[in-house]
Amino acid sequence: MSQLDILLLVLRVAFGAFVPLCFIAVLVWMERRGAAFFQDRSGPNRAHIFGFRAGGLVQNFADAVKLITKEDIIPGHIKHKFYFVLAPVIVFCIALISFAAVPFADALIINGKKYIMQAIPTDLGILWFLALAGFAVYGIILAGWSSHNKYGVLGGLRAAAQVISYEIPMGFAIISALVVYGTVNLTEIAQYQGHLLFGFIPMWGVVVQPLGAIIFIIAAFAEANRTPFDLAEGESELVAGFHVEYSSMKFGMFFMGEYVAMFTSSAIIVTLYFGGYQIPWFSTETLVHNARAFSVLLMLLLPACAWLFARWMAKNNRSHYDRPNDPRVWEAQIYAKILWGTVAALEIVLFIYLITVSGGVADRILVALLQIVTFLVKTTFMCFIYVWVRWTLPRFRYDQLQKLGWQTLLPLSLLNIFVTSAIVVALS
Amino acid sequence: MFADGLFIVFATLAVLGAVGLVLFRHPMNGAMSFVVTLISLAGLYALLSAKLIFALQLIVYAGAIMSLIVFIIMFLNIQPDDLPQEEMKLFYVLVSAIVVCPIGLLLAKIVKSLPVHSTAIMGNKFGGVKEVGLLLFRDWLIPFEIVSILLLVSLVGAVILAGKRGTTK
Repeated sequence: MSQLDILLLVLRVAFGAFVPLCFIAVLVWMERRGAAFFQDRSGPNRAHIFGFRAGGLVQNFADAVKLITKEDIIPGHIKHKFYFVLAPVIVFCIALISFAAVPFADALIINGKKYIMQAIPTDLGILWFLALAGFAVYGIILAGWSSHNKYGVLGGLRAAAQVISYEIPMGFAIISALVVYGTVNLTEIAQYQGHLLFGFIPMWGVVVQPLGAIIFIIAAFAEANRTPFDLAEGESELVAGFHVEYSSMKFGMFFMGEYVAMFTSSAIIVTLYFGGYQIPWFSTETLVHNARAFSVLLMLLLPACAWLFARWMAKNNRSHYDRPNDPRVWEAQIYAKILWGTVAALEIVLFIYLITVSGGVADRILVALLQIVTFLVKTTFMCFIYVWVRWTLPRFRYDQLQKLGWQTLLPLSLLNIFVTSAIVVALS
Repeated sequence: MFADGLFIVFATLAVLGAVGLVLFRHPMNGAMSFVVTLISLAGLYALLSAKLIFALQLIVYAGAIMSLIVFIIMFLNIQPDDLPQEEMKLFYVLVSAIVVCPIGLLLAKIVKSLPVHSTAIMGNKFGGVKEVGLLLFRDWLIPFEIVSILLLVSLVGAVILAGKRGTTK
């Protein structure tokens, strides 16, 4: 292995491990501010360090300190302490590992060698995700069972039955998608979605598989145990369901695991149905050939976006009553300076790229970075849809949930397989 | 060397999990140790570059079947009093170990008499999804379909058996 190989290996694994972890903070913030937005209030925005609130992100830091320093209790009535401790670890780790097979940029070609941009460069792709999705339920079952508590057991039972029954329509939706793509490899699936349908529509999964996309998204919501499918922890009837006996960081693991699972399933949805890392209408090769033009465009767009963002910040980040030397205005000014500093640094990097190293490998690296940004933006949007649904729809009743899974989604997904296969066979 | 080390780890875990399944008293412990066996078996398949079988082992056995079994164990909510008294357990285990011993020796002899093969990784596409799929649905289509009909029959049978008990009550 050359040094380049090792460097890329480390970078890819680091991306696969740290990006989901960073997104926990972003998603918790998004959930709280999103909930506040839908309920027409402000959400947590007061916690600060030296006056810097980062739009409420500092609240997460306060929560982390609270969770870590809380007393870690294992209730005395629990007999199977090993499973009790193991359960949150399973939930968290499985969610984290399932992201490993998701491509976050097109295969990077450096010096004629192809590097697949996944944390684990396997071609199992969606099978890896399915294999691990089956394991996540162990964490919930073990947590509910080892809690030795009626609420816990009921929550665990509900979660397990729900995950097992929604895995079937999810698997069928994946099958019909695979019939279209002709591969299980997620990088190849994303590459396929870089083509154009009739020459002008991006051939995203959601365009060629609309029904499959809807079924998969619903099933993914159920697998992630999110509202409207969060009966496992329905607080009005089960207190907190399977994690009712957990405290401190053990609860924190469940909490973080939920957000990592949300990120991972958003990433899978984006990869399967929304083009993955593809920038619509611009395939990787187009981008590489016109890398200079794109970098000039980027150099023009960046300051424009930054200017709009800084203006938006200055307008909104102020106290709503008269205050001498408003600290929030001062805060916004500092943020604007940081923003302009970042923009200047990016402009310098792009400029150096343009006059010295453009053409060849640097183009491909630039395109890979652009694709990573695209992938993360798409995934963030998908996560926002999770938050949106959670704070808009009420919870299902349990029989309605099972009915939806078995009597609506299952026949629809079977029908989808037949229709898709018939069309694919007719067209080939 | 790395692969050899992994093989030893997976093989040991598989055997330990199977032993645990037999020896543990509580069904949940037994089920979880069996999960360890199934996962280590998946690891062994991966070492043999059978990627698809690795994934299927995880999805079907470790993921679906065992989670159903664990689900049922949780559903039945077995208390320590519900478990049978096994006072003679050690005795039974020892006797059965002695009875099984000759078969084990025979197996060891068979393994020893196998011709030595190098365990190099097969051609770079061996065991991939496409290759196994082509083999299964082109060369072995009829046996595959017969097996799936067998599965369908047992599925229908299970549904009928379950339904009968419900209607007679």
